[in-house]
Amino acid sequence: MSSRTRTRTTALGSAALAGALLLTACGDDGGSSEAKSSKSNLITIITPASDNPFFKAEAAAAKKKAEKLGYQTSVASHDDDPNKQSELIDGAISRKSAAIILDNAGADASIGPVRKATKAGIPVFLIDREINETGIAKAQIVSNNAQGAQLAGQEFVKAMKGKGDYVELTGKESDTNAGVRSKGFKDVLSQYPDLKRVARQTANWDQQEAFSKMETILQRHPDIEGVIAGNDTMALGAVAALKADKRKDVVVVGFDGSPDAIAQIKAGKMHATVLQPAALGAERAVQQADKYIKTGKTGQPEKQAIDCELVTKENAAEFGLFARR
Amino acid sequence: MTDTLAKDHEVVLQQRRDAATQARRLKTLESLFELRAFIALGVLIVVFSLLSDSFLTVDNVITMTKHVAINAVLALGMLLVILKGGIDLSVGSTVGLSGVIAGELLQGLHIGFLDAVAYPQVWAVIVLCIAVGAVVGAVNGLLITRLNVAPFIATLGMLYMARAAAMLISGGTTYPDLAGDPATNNTGFGWLGEGRPLGLPVAVWIMIVLAGLVTLLLRSTPFGRWLYATGGNERATQLSGVPVKRVKVTVYVISGACAAMSGLIIASELTSAAPQAGETFELNAIAAVVIGGAALSGGRGNVRGTLVGAFVIGFLADGLVILGVSTFWQMLIKGAVIVLAVVLDQSQQRFQRNRAAASAIAAEHEDSEAPPTAPAKA
Repeated sequence: MSSRTRTRTTALGSAALAGALLLTACGDDGGSSEAKSSKSNLITIITPASDNPFFKAEAAAAKKKAEKLGYQTSVASHDDDPNKQSELIDGAISRKSAAIILDNAGADASIGPVRKATKAGIPVFLIDREINETGIAKAQIVSNNAQGAQLAGQEFVKAMKGKGDYVELTGKESDTNAGVRSKGFKDVLSQYPDLKRVARQTANWDQQEAFSKMETILQRHPDIEGVIAGNDTMALGAVAALKADKRKDVVVVGFDGSPDAIAQIKAGKMHATVLQPAALGAERAVQQADKYIKTGKTGQPEKQAIDCELVTKENAAEFGLFARR
Repeated sequence: MTDTLAKDHEVVLQQRRDAATQARRLKTLESLFELRAFIALGVLIVVFSLLSDSFLTVDNVITMTKHVAINAVLALGMLLVILKGGIDLSVGSTVGLSGVIAGELLQGLHIGFLDAVAYPQVWAVIVLCIAVGAVVGAVNGLLITRLNVAPFIATLGMLYMARAAAMLISGGTTYPDLAGDPATNNTGFGWLGEGRPLGLPVAVWIMIVLAGLVTLLLRSTPFGRWLYATGGNERATQLSGVPVKRVKVTVYVISGACAAMSGLIIASELTSAAPQAGETFELNAIAAVVIGGAALSGGRGNVRGTLVGAFVIGFLADGLVILGVSTFWQMLIKGAVIVLAVVLDQSQQRFQRNRAAASAIAAEHEDSEAPPTAPAKA
């Protein structure tokens, strides 16, 4: 009696265990196969902000490429808010996106959301900014900020003829790219002892802040001969301040290759900028997403760098919206 | 008996003297407090002048004052709102919206049904932008008075809506060139940012004129008295027949118009208009008003204090740039100055109450000029 009961219990137990295992297996298997089969034809594109021409160009290029390849698209911006980014990723998961193209909201804060999407079976392709973790995203395609900064630095040295006082305007100090660019400038410029950096201030990527800080710096250092800025928006602020101070001979070099900066370069008011091929990176990401959806592989290493290009008055006409024409 | 009386008299006289001394001392302290913003400004100027010889030059002071003017114009509008006991969080967004509208108008306004492009002249652009700012303010005011939305919430909503309007109109991009075109007869917008009549930038003149107007408004018009009264005790003011709602709407309209003016100055200086211009400017304006000794609960504050508050913030920021101090420290120092200002303000309130009490005692004793007679016997 008692042994029978035990046997039955054991049998029941093992049946339940087997069932549970089966269920789990089914759940896993069914889950992912279901995710694959019922996966929509949707590519979700998430970028920092739509009020910045760079991100706008990036999102537009990704959207265009995806639609050309026959996908539906959904474009959203997280405004550099990791929390909003996480919500947008949740949205992409619940809509069963086929892939996510993401310009993320922070190298550390974005690891969680990217992992979340990957676990849900949605491949994530990072553009423009990296995250501090490999093996989660299918690709991290960023422009080579260090190389771009060196290009800008070298052109700056050339225009300054290797000597004179200059000012550096840096981006938001909490932004990785601000640090990378500033270091890139320094690597080149510090080799020229006659080039003297008399002031270094952050203008938080902002034009108006760059304008008023430049005006103030000019009070302290009226004899500067050059300004090198971490992005074009700040470079344009410096150009406006120099113009207000009636200084025409100051070399201004920026970074990004924004259309406004290229217009100033053509007009001779700014010396050079370094163009980040935002459109190219975004297109490449969509292309690899397409390949991954169809074959399960991208065929590329995870980390990919796209070189920046120097824009001066001589070649300014060759460039359009963050891309070669 | 006589001895006791004389002794009593002596004691009372001593008390009276003590009270008078204390009242005097408190009065001195109070005037020091009243002047605290001036003193802070003086300390800033002395310290920065000692640390850098390019701080206290005519040129730099003019440049700094120009930077101050942008915030001061906002702060003067904010002062009126705060005197009423309200707050206007939407001014930063209105700065952006105003610039964007200037950009749109200067690039040529497409009139759909006429299939034509209108190029308003610069004065018309300026008037229209200020009108838009006033409309934003009027909406704030109506939300607050007619629909009873708390000022903080109404203007917070407007902060987002006005910014969204700026983004929608501009499509999120910057208007790159506001110089106008001689062909369309709309050049000259740059004058607001570049012009220097009598050696002072236009922005500084705008600040001076506006400060004069607001002072007049507060001191010499019924509106000014109504405003202080409304901020002091709204219910009582309303019961005494003051059109409180009209006063409230008016201050938001003025604040919106000031913000639009500030936006025009920025757009003109940069000869370009970005929809995200003016982000967090509302906080600088509030800080200037608070450093200037106004009470956020309303009813107390003046133009002089607010201007000095704006100068403190501006000179501090520019001085730290001249010294090459990092932004992180700049933020820390600015925050500390704001908190210190409010702490001092609280102490001032306390001293004022004490002084009132002390003067009351002194006055009471002065009333009884004659030595006290024998105490009445019970």
